[in-house]
Amino acid sequence: MLRFGPATGPVAVVALPLFEEANRTRAFAVTICRALAKRGVASVLPDLPGQGESVVPLADMTLLRMREAMEGVEAKVGTVGRPYAVGIRSGALLNPLGLFFGRWHFAPQEGEDVMRDLLRIALAGNAIPSGSSIYALIGSNNPVVIAGNPISSAMAADLQGAMLYDEPGVPLRTVRLDTDPKPADRHVPGTPLWRRAEPDNDRILAALLAEDIADWIATCEG
Amino acid sequence: MASHAPVSIATQHNKAKTGLALRTDDYDQIDSTVRAVLRDVLGLSEARVAGFNAETPLFGALPELDSMAVAGLLTEIEERLGILIEDDEVDGEMLETFGSLVRFAAAKAPR
Repeated sequence: MLRFGPATGPVAVVALPLFEEANRTRAFAVTICRALAKRGVASVLPDLPGQGESVVPLADMTLLRMREAMEGVEAKVGTVGRPYAVGIRSGALLNPLGLFFGRWHFAPQEGEDVMRDLLRIALAGNAIPSGSSIYALIGSNNPVVIAGNPISSAMAADLQGAMLYDEPGVPLRTVRLDTDPKPADRHVPGTPLWRRAEPDNDRILAALLAEDIADWIATCEG
Repeated sequence: MASHAPVSIATQHNKAKTGLALRTDDYDQIDSTVRAVLRDVLGLSEARVAGFNAETPLFGALPELDSMAVAGLLTEIEERLGILIEDDEVDGEMLETFGSLVRFAAAKAPR
């Protein structure tokens, strides 16, 4: 787990997107964390089970177990600071269980949208027979390897019904790219790095998002 | 960093009501949206995509455009234009040239 910034105060717990998009946005997320540190805001970037340096195989993971792992990170961070969830893309689906002081989402996806992307990538890469529906992923006995990521039927079933956390009374802020017509608190210019085959970075966007996160946490902290 | 506004929901509704054919400025907007998606998904330069015309070959001619990239390309076009592309509609022909891809997207756009 990477840690940035001061040892006390609010802590942004950053969740990378699931699967292949994590590789494409990791450098970008680290740039956001460094920019937060410059503004005096602490952050952590955990590898959840099935992600990055984790030794747990992704094939054994369900969304629920990853959410529980994120709850564990929140509980640990909560002993030293006040945790705020920062979710990038499908990373925004990982934070419903922890007692976060607030949630900040960038270009978040509902579980259904994640599954739609996965199905399309699986079809394009011939991981499943052409003409297959999402039930080829949900009903498969063995994990389906999609762009190098083994997705179990339990993970697929979890994802298909997964919703973004949005409960009254808990601060939530959503930021999207201005090319994304879905509703958001703010639309910003930038590049959808999660679509790029070669990992890339967008430092201007990272700085802009870090400023938005820092200002929003300051508002939540009152 | 240039960006292109999506077709507004209000415009789509108005078109649905009046049944008007796609206007030239709407077609231009779809053209520029598809151009921006190719730039963003494939990591092409602004100058390179600006030079694309209807005959510019895409699939098979751009090494960046592999099957994974096609999946991302279609999803981004769907999101930005507010359209839905069925996977069985995707074939080599629609991806053959820049012009064929724009025509496909325009045919799917609400009018």
